[in-house]
Amino acid sequence: MKLHEYEAKNVIKAAGIPVPAGFLIRSPDELTPHLDTLGNAFVLKAQVDVGGRGKAGGILMADKATGAKVAQELFGKQIKGLPVKEILAEQRLDIKHEYYLSITVDRSSRQPLILFTEAGGIEIEVTAKEHPELIRKVVANPLMGDLPPFFIRELLGTAPKEIGPVINKLYRIFIEKDALLAEINPLVATPAGIFAADAKIIVDDNALGRQGITVNRDLSEREREAEKHGFSYVELDGKIGVIGNGAGLTMATLDLIEYYGGKAANFLDVGGGAESERVKNAVRLVASVPSVKVIVVNLLGGITKCDEVAKGIIAAEIPQKVIVRLAGTNEAEGRRLLSEKGYEMLDTMDLVVKKAVEVTA
Amino acid sequence: MIYGDKKIGVLVQGATGKQGEFHIGLMNEYAKTVGGRGVVAGVTPGKGGQQVHGVPVYNTVKDAMKEHDIGAAVIFVPAGAAADAIMEEANAGIGTIVCITEHIPVQDTMKAVAYARMEGASVIGPNCPGLLSPGEVKMGIMPSALFTRGHVGVISRSGTLTYEVVDELTRAGIGQSTVVGIGGDPVIGQTFVDVMQRFEKDPETKAVVLIGEVGGNLEEEGATCTDLPIVSYIAGVSAPPDKRMGHAGAIVEGGEGDAKSKIARLKKHGVPVASRVSEIPGMVRDLFRCGC
Repeated sequence: MKLHEYEAKNVIKAAGIPVPAGFLIRSPDELTPHLDTLGNAFVLKAQVDVGGRGKAGGILMADKATGAKVAQELFGKQIKGLPVKEILAEQRLDIKHEYYLSITVDRSSRQPLILFTEAGGIEIEVTAKEHPELIRKVVANPLMGDLPPFFIRELLGTAPKEIGPVINKLYRIFIEKDALLAEINPLVATPAGIFAADAKIIVDDNALGRQGITVNRDLSEREREAEKHGFSYVELDGKIGVIGNGAGLTMATLDLIEYYGGKAANFLDVGGGAESERVKNAVRLVASVPSVKVIVVNLLGGITKCDEVAKGIIAAEIPQKVIVRLAGTNEAEGRRLLSEKGYEMLDTMDLVVKKAVEVTA
Repeated sequence: MIYGDKKIGVLVQGATGKQGEFHIGLMNEYAKTVGGRGVVAGVTPGKGGQQVHGVPVYNTVKDAMKEHDIGAAVIFVPAGAAADAIMEEANAGIGTIVCITEHIPVQDTMKAVAYARMEGASVIGPNCPGLLSPGEVKMGIMPSALFTRGHVGVISRSGTLTYEVVDELTRAGIGQSTVVGIGGDPVIGQTFVDVMQRFEKDPETKAVVLIGEVGGNLEEEGATCTDLPIVSYIAGVSAPPDKRMGHAGAIVEGGEGDAKSKIARLKKHGVPVASRVSEIPGMVRDLFRCGC
């Protein structure tokens, strides 16, 4: 789950990395009482999780005279379709130089990867593409504990030594907060020292419990409902509902829908060993989305028993048409149950998907 | 055989849990039909002295190692205990460790995988269905009825999609040498490259089907590190763009972890990519026909 900017900044501030003076407001009225802490010129930053927030108008400059009006304006905006509910008001920094620092999980080496460049800022991805030599990288063995000083020397090159402790502290945050990503961009040099001007932290969904996070905000209400049942569920914008077992098979079913020219409305992975009650819940959840006109069930039973699946589909009693492909354990019994009730069954995933696309065309 | 044959003794960690018990039964049923040793010992702390389907249970992996000849382990413990289980097995000297458990925090996996590597153990998974060499050995949860022995190796990040591919291959009369599910998590032990290198040394394997997914770039690393003929399939062409991993993901992977650019790069390297699962058997047959 992605933390908001102000939450990420609270985390890095608590770890001893300097951040600009600032506070969070939820309405324009909350701005004026605390303005003295910011100085005359300050920045208002919409707390919306979109890339390119600045370019989309989500970051506005203000001063004491214009502050309330600018805040009003920002609260009234939609940034890439998202309403602005919270704004971080921050002291404006006298930026002399921008650096980039991040720590992420590297799939190739299976270890934390630390990236640092003296060419930071909003064009960082362009820099990475055109001048990859400017990006310094080290891979840290997770068994080493804290980063050894030679790593810091390798990363910093000619950059100011004060950045060293920032790297150490961010690495510790990355480990202790179960982060998949801890990023400071830009990390800025000012006459008053080094500051984290923006920060991004993504917490591992598998570690939310031990991090004391009870609600995964990245999920929609229906996705959360699905999570409670132990399903993974994603909403899309077509007309075909998809139920499968296993992420790969479900994804392949979706790809097949696209291959035949259709569009999926959502997909739900019931997981392995699903019993009839779970299947019933899954079918009802997928059917509850108004745009779903037909549902494709594509289940390959290993541990999953086809007769249980059939009972679940029948018990769900939904109005939409359900097209079923079942294979594996207790297949014959599953087919018998469904055909008694007049459900349409086909032998392969190609056939069920083709049929569903025809029905919605 | 790339991770062991019918002579290998398997240990199950989490033997007395629901999953562990169920799959010890299935693994030993399979061992019986092929004349293999199967699961010879189980481990659940505090349950030493019990039996599961006639298999003795021990409190620690080292206790089990004293009594049995064990070459591989399969883990069914809950997510919070799985990294510990991997490290206990690696520390005891088990060479192949299959971790079925899903939802392990990635920080734990990174530590366990680094430690296992230091001890010289190979970790398959986590969040994987394990492996099966038809006619020899099953370590994990793959439904054995779909498999048939032959000369095509399969490496996959997925579970059920692997079964789908195996089912298609078997129906088309194409047998498998070994099928390995390497797991769907961002950090896994054995990658496409590691498994491919084993296939290359395996006299039973003449071609490989590689089943990938969106995310990362390990599929091409695997496909380009070998001279074996390959057919690949990448799931997730229609997947909505993932929640971006800040700039770091784009910098590391060049923003090319999505399925379409992954497919394009595989094709550029001359690796055939199936656009549907059902095309795979025909493409494998073409590989054999042209003798390349």
